[in-house]
Amino acid sequence: MIELPERTRRISPSRVHEILLAHDCKSVVDPFMGLPTHLNYLKRHGIAVHGGDLLEWFVRAGEGIITNDLTILRDSEVAELVEMLPGRIYSLDLFKAWEGVFFSEEQCVYLGVWHDNVHNLRSDQQTGLAILGLWRVFCYWLQKAQTPDDMQDVPPSELAWSYIRQTEQWVTPNLRHNTVRQGDVLATMGAQKADALFLAPPARNSFRSADARIWMWEAWWQGNPYFTIEHAYRDSLLGARAADPAAYARAMQTILSAAESYSVIIVQTTEQRLSEIEPIVTSARANVEIVAPHPFEIYLVATT
Amino acid sequence: MTLFQDTSGDPRAARSLVADVLAWYGAAGDAAMGNSPGFAARKASLACAFAQIADLPEEQRHALAFAGLLHAAGAIGNAAYRKGEHLAERAARMERWDVPAQGARICEAIAALPAQTADMVRWQAEAWDGTGFPDQLRWYGIPKAAQYLALADCFLRQGDPDEALRGIAFDSGRAFNPEDVRTFTMWFHRHGGQAELLGLPIDSLDERHTDAGSLLDEFADRIDAHNGVGARWRRVAQIAGVTAKALGLPPDAARELGVACRIYGAGEIDDAQVEEESFDPLARLGVDLRAGNAASAAELAQPHAALEAASKIVGMRGEWFDGTGKPYGLSHKRIPIATGILAAAIAYDGLDRGERLDTAAGTQFDPNVVRVLLEVAKTLA
Repeated sequence: MIELPERTRRISPSRVHEILLAHDCKSVVDPFMGLPTHLNYLKRHGIAVHGGDLLEWFVRAGEGIITNDLTILRDSEVAELVEMLPGRIYSLDLFKAWEGVFFSEEQCVYLGVWHDNVHNLRSDQQTGLAILGLWRVFCYWLQKAQTPDDMQDVPPSELAWSYIRQTEQWVTPNLRHNTVRQGDVLATMGAQKADALFLAPPARNSFRSADARIWMWEAWWQGNPYFTIEHAYRDSLLGARAADPAAYARAMQTILSAAESYSVIIVQTTEQRLSEIEPIVTSARANVEIVAPHPFEIYLVATT
Repeated sequence: MTLFQDTSGDPRAARSLVADVLAWYGAAGDAAMGNSPGFAARKASLACAFAQIADLPEEQRHALAFAGLLHAAGAIGNAAYRKGEHLAERAARMERWDVPAQGARICEAIAALPAQTADMVRWQAEAWDGTGFPDQLRWYGIPKAAQYLALADCFLRQGDPDEALRGIAFDSGRAFNPEDVRTFTMWFHRHGGQAELLGLPIDSLDERHTDAGSLLDEFADRIDAHNGVGARWRRVAQIAGVTAKALGLPPDAARELGVACRIYGAGEIDDAQVEEESFDPLARLGVDLRAGNAASAAELAQPHAALEAASKIVGMRGEWFDGTGKPYGLSHKRIPIATGILAAAIAYDGLDRGERLDTAAGTQFDPNVVRVLLEVAKTLA
């Protein structure tokens, strides 16, 4: 059984939105976006959002709920996604490596079928929505493996159906140009201009303890059950300096130096990491306000 | 003159006042969302019962009680519920997602509340699997107390407790953390699905930085904005106050009239119509509407000791001086003078030309009140 971490980083987009409004920011770049549900919140509230990440499935999900203003999956399209289609050849053994370790045989077959069906979707937006919906099924299964008696058995296609249909509710225009891109932090920052930069940088060495629900879904999307997160982060700015505190600090300084054009920088961190992050931010900006509603949800708001 | 009796030297009395005003606003929020009367109090009690089983620290349980009470505070002023907004269903649903965050902002501004109250309100509708709102938090990013509010909400919205139990079990691992569903199930079996109403932990309020009168003013402003009649209560309170003084109303009665001016607008907050938009204030056609709104406002205020006397003033404002009003058909001296002043002041504010109030003297309103009110209105002008 896989271990699911108790604590994940918490970003409260409604609070970030309050900070952005207080500084009159109408656009934001988030180069470590992760699953961009927080950007979806900001988008819904009229902020132009630009996200980036190294993991492709985050970017794909962003195409579903960030760049997508109106495309949804109709009932017939969802029906074609969640079950095996007659006449199509499926790689049913694609995720056999996970069988008996993380998932049942039936679940592994479904993962293979969904992988093929999603890759056959013609629209990037629909692909993003499907990836997001199916990820929730994947998480449900992993959770159920932890607490089998506390959760009900729901047929895979039914669960997938309900989660994919649910994604539709997050699709909305905001009459702004919103983007997502796959790339490292500096590339994302260089590609877009905005009023604010939001940074939720991974902690030093954090990829070693990354949530399985995140990197395993990248493995699913890549169709490679042996994928590990080190593959994605190895050559990145922070990944290459993951072990050495001084190198990590230098990498963060590089990011903040490249962010001179942003009038506001919001750095999300935790109480545990505050002593490491705060000096880096204060050395880059004269005014740094700390908004600390919780020990694991702290925002350093740096202005010029 | 202060709005409520002076409580200096008695912090518990001051806290009780603040708690009453908060509870009243929580009930008004429920009315805005279309929840049944008492929903907020039941939700708060139920969530606290779960928290007790889970052995949450006392300070969190206290914050939870107030978060439950104010769970719908953000509905007042929200575009999905505001008067005069006609949003498409999809747009209205997205607006409704903001109710918790708007409620959290209101709670953050109330210094008397326990510190964690605001975030419990903010995250009360988050789902374990990340499909909730407003923040789409997931897993352990959602505080346990907020999950208890979500469970209590879900349970109370189902009429049948067994049906609710089944629904919540189905949502284990989806809307709810399986651990918290276990806590809920334990509560359900221990208490047979019957929620006991708990008293508010008023001693956990910090009354030093929150004045109940100012809080009531602020809430009344929000309610008027929600009803699309910005600052109406301020105009009504001004003319009613000066009229009461001119008529020699005793200080306690004048104080109760002041409270009544602030709470009567809450009667229009649910699906009821805003009076000015529906009927001329002097038209007999509006008598049912006025009496209905008066009864709704009185019902919201009556359970709260600090507002009880004012609720009686508000509840009778649909009565006519000649005995043909509603709901009781009271006449002349049987209508309290404060009620007569309130009714006349509301009508005066709703008229394009205030002097028309004179035409209803002796029928709808006490002629003496009308005479004095029109005189003081001239001096105010």
